[in-house]
Amino acid sequence: MSVLVPIVPKVLAVRRLPRAAPALLLAYGADPARHVSLGIVTCDQDDPTYVALDEATKHAAVDVIFARSFYAGAAHSSGRNSGEIMGILAAENPDELEHGLRAMLRCLEHDACFYSADDAGSVTVFPHVVASLGRYLSVKSGLPEGEALAYLVAPPLEATVALDAALKAAEVRPVMIFPPPTETNFAAAWLTGSLNACQAAAEAYAETVVRVAMEPRERWNR
Amino acid sequence: MSATRERMAALKARLEASSPAPPPTPIEPVLAPPRRVFPTPKTRNRFAENAAAHTTALVGIGHVGTRYATDVILQFQAELAVAHQAVATELSESFAAQHALLPLQSRVTSHREFLLRPDLGRRLDEASLARLRSQAMKGIDVQPILADGLSATACMGSGVQLLQSFIRECEAFGLSVGTPVCARFARVWLEDEIGETVQAKVAAILLGERPGLGTGDGLSAYLVHAPKLGKTDGDRNMLSNIHTRGTRPEEAAKRLAVLARAMLEQGTSGVSLDLGKLAKELGDSGGRGYRAPQERVRLVEVPT
Amino acid sequence: MPMRLSSTIRGIAYAFGSVAEVLAKANAPKSGDVLAGLAARDPVERVAARAVLSELTLHDLRESPAVPYEVDELTRMVEDTLDEQAYRALSHLTVGQFREWLLETKTTGPVLRSVAKGLTPEMAAAVCKLMSTLDLMVVSKKCEVVVRANNTFGLAGRLSSRLQPNHPTDDIEGILTSLREGLSYGCGDAVLGVNPATDTPESTAEILKALTGVMEKNGIPTQQCVLSHVTVQLKALELGAPMGLMFQSLSGTEGGNRAFGISLALMDEAYDAMKAKRYAPGPNFMYFETGQGSALSSAAHHGADQLTLEARCYGFARRYEPFLVNTVVGFIGPEYLEDGPQITRAGLEDHFMGKLLGLSMGCDACFTYHARMSQDELEGLKVLLAAAGCSYLMSLPVGDDIMLNYQSTSFHDIPSVQALLGKRPTPEFDAWLAERGIWDDGPGERFGDPAVIR
Repeated sequence: MSVLVPIVPKVLAVRRLPRAAPALLLAYGADPARHVSLGIVTCDQDDPTYVALDEATKHAAVDVIFARSFYAGAAHSSGRNSGEIMGILAAENPDELEHGLRAMLRCLEHDACFYSADDAGSVTVFPHVVASLGRYLSVKSGLPEGEALAYLVAPPLEATVALDAALKAAEVRPVMIFPPPTETNFAAAWLTGSLNACQAAAEAYAETVVRVAMEPRERWNR
Repeated sequence: MSATRERMAALKARLEASSPAPPPTPIEPVLAPPRRVFPTPKTRNRFAENAAAHTTALVGIGHVGTRYATDVILQFQAELAVAHQAVATELSESFAAQHALLPLQSRVTSHREFLLRPDLGRRLDEASLARLRSQAMKGIDVQPILADGLSATACMGSGVQLLQSFIRECEAFGLSVGTPVCARFARVWLEDEIGETVQAKVAAILLGERPGLGTGDGLSAYLVHAPKLGKTDGDRNMLSNIHTRGTRPEEAAKRLAVLARAMLEQGTSGVSLDLGKLAKELGDSGGRGYRAPQERVRLVEVPT
Repeated sequence: MPMRLSSTIRGIAYAFGSVAEVLAKANAPKSGDVLAGLAARDPVERVAARAVLSELTLHDLRESPAVPYEVDELTRMVEDTLDEQAYRALSHLTVGQFREWLLETKTTGPVLRSVAKGLTPEMAAAVCKLMSTLDLMVVSKKCEVVVRANNTFGLAGRLSSRLQPNHPTDDIEGILTSLREGLSYGCGDAVLGVNPATDTPESTAEILKALTGVMEKNGIPTQQCVLSHVTVQLKALELGAPMGLMFQSLSGTEGGNRAFGISLALMDEAYDAMKAKRYAPGPNFMYFETGQGSALSSAAHHGADQLTLEARCYGFARRYEPFLVNTVVGFIGPEYLEDGPQITRAGLEDHFMGKLLGLSMGCDACFTYHARMSQDELEGLKVLLAAAGCSYLMSLPVGDDIMLNYQSTSFHDIPSVQALLGKRPTPEFDAWLAERGIWDDGPGERFGDPAVIR
């Protein structure tokens, strides 16, 4: 058995606009009064990218002005550089933007990622724990900055069974539950509680996804 | 390294070291299952009761998963063992002498050869042929032959009783009966050479039949008119299933004597023997090999 | 140029007098070949014969039928009806090359089906002698023979069963009792087939009507058959008896068939009568049983070994595109197949040869109580046959035939082997089982409950 091997996200494109056109800034949700420089990233894994964008907000004065997953995921993307998500960081100047981008890329390289849940890697799981929420995810989740968040994603059935296990594994409460299908046809949940509780929930979630992947058709006596 | 990656690495190690089987499910107290074979009246089902009136097939026995219950498998194994043992049992060499019968043996020299070489089981060995020539009565109406066939158990069981009853019934009809003989490793057609050697008008071989499940005590009888080498199955009349649960030996002996007398009167046997007039005396058997259904008996008893 | 029939093993030369002798001595050990005085005298001579056999061409085998053309109507029928185009595609191959061609991955089921009618029985027997157990299974599995009567039979991934509710006195209630029990275990999609104790048209018709009653009352998609002599069944057909399949035991020579009271002409007549009066709509309606040793037991073997003669039964059977054919492999007794290994080998050989010749082949995996085969060996054979793609097995209460006194496959064995190998009965019957709650992806609520059958 070789499961829970990290599948490191591939950053497909990174482009900077040191001085973006005001109309562009407005169209993508930036505030031309504060935002001058944009950093645009595409990646083949959407959820690690959301986490990495949030991570950037903890290390630099950057805002996540845009982040959207693409329909049906990386396997059906519109081009070889599209992946399954595009995210945009905005900053007052190119230096600050670069700090943010570096923090984000570091997080994608070394931290947030999907893991294989079966030998073929055809089932994957994202059992990530954000120890301390940045500005982006705190707004999205409605939780105060600095709270812990279990960010849990898996394919629909695995996600459903595993969420039950996660909720029962520790003192956590649901923040958001995203039933299937999401844009990428997965299902997800955000749970919060103490850091230990979030970690226990994420572990239970990962283990359950692995077990369901191993025996998708449960045997029972009739 | 990130906290999540560290924790997943630890979880990976733990999962890989654990049993690959899914975790055990909690088990409830197990109820004792019911008996399936010959159930006590309390648990007997209507189907099994009805079935018993019509067939000895082992039906209404339920199942565990797709397999047999333990008492079913034990009953089956006991029945199989009884059949195998009946086949494996050899007729002792002293059996004939103990019952004052002239001992004969076919050309077969071992039990395995007996099973594999029916041709040798149809011919007498040299010594037996000489003994038969010198010691047996010649020119008789009926030559009675007891033999092991495929069940020495049956031969040694009710064989002598059947033989003696048959001789008595023949004599009651006024037929002359030859020296009773007992043949080891004998096939049905051995009666041809024996009958021919003693110039009998009818040869009758009474021998153990191929056992069925749970039964090793059945005898069959084959009668042939004008016995000589080269007679075929179509020349013979037979009665099978002779045992206490089928046709009882005394009753069988009567029917066989009726058959022998008919052969002498009509001067033939086998398919050309007219049995029409004998229907009443022969009962349902008619010499065609009718089998009455047998009763299935419990073979395994364990005191509790 | 005369064929050279000799080979050398470790410097010792082995010479054989005829193709028949090569075929006989190449055969896997069988007590029946010893009884007939045809078997190899030792294992080395057996391999020497196989070596010679491996170099004979299929053409050579066609030229040397086991029984001469002039004296045997089966030889003539096979020779005169052989598919010449299919034959020409393979005739130049040696038996050894033919074996390898059969085993090639690219030789698929459809390819095998297209050459079947160009093969003589002797060719199937010859290559069989060069094949191991797994060889036989691998090739058999590729042959898919699909037929239809009341259901569609022989599809890949399916394992069917004949329900055999025999009774020593033909007691109708006794027969139906076993029948209901068997149906409740999901058995009987190949045929509901009774061996009668009494071989008369009236009793044949009576049993057929009783079987039909249960089929129609319960809507069971299967076919019914009473295995009396074909002449008796013809009369029963005239009496208006509903007959899904017409049965006959076959032998591999004209003389052997004479001992069975049949001939080519009689079987043609039976086929035509059945074609006009059959009960089931499908185009296949004949049912044949065979078994190694039958020709020798009637002294009609012409010096040929029992495997080759068995193949000739299949050459006879295929003329009638039967719905079912099965070898009754262990029934004949130890003088022909001595023990478990011989019966096991023979069952797989017969299934292979039948399938190769294009027949809808099943097997009565069985033993008599005087053969040295254990119940465990018999259960193993059932799994091997099913894994080899055998179309059907028999099914009886606890495998015990209370009339014929032998041990076969049980009602419990069929669902066990099916579940073990992931197989199902015919699609129509499978749907009926699900509808009745007998089996639906596992034993249903009514599984093993004979009250489910009215």
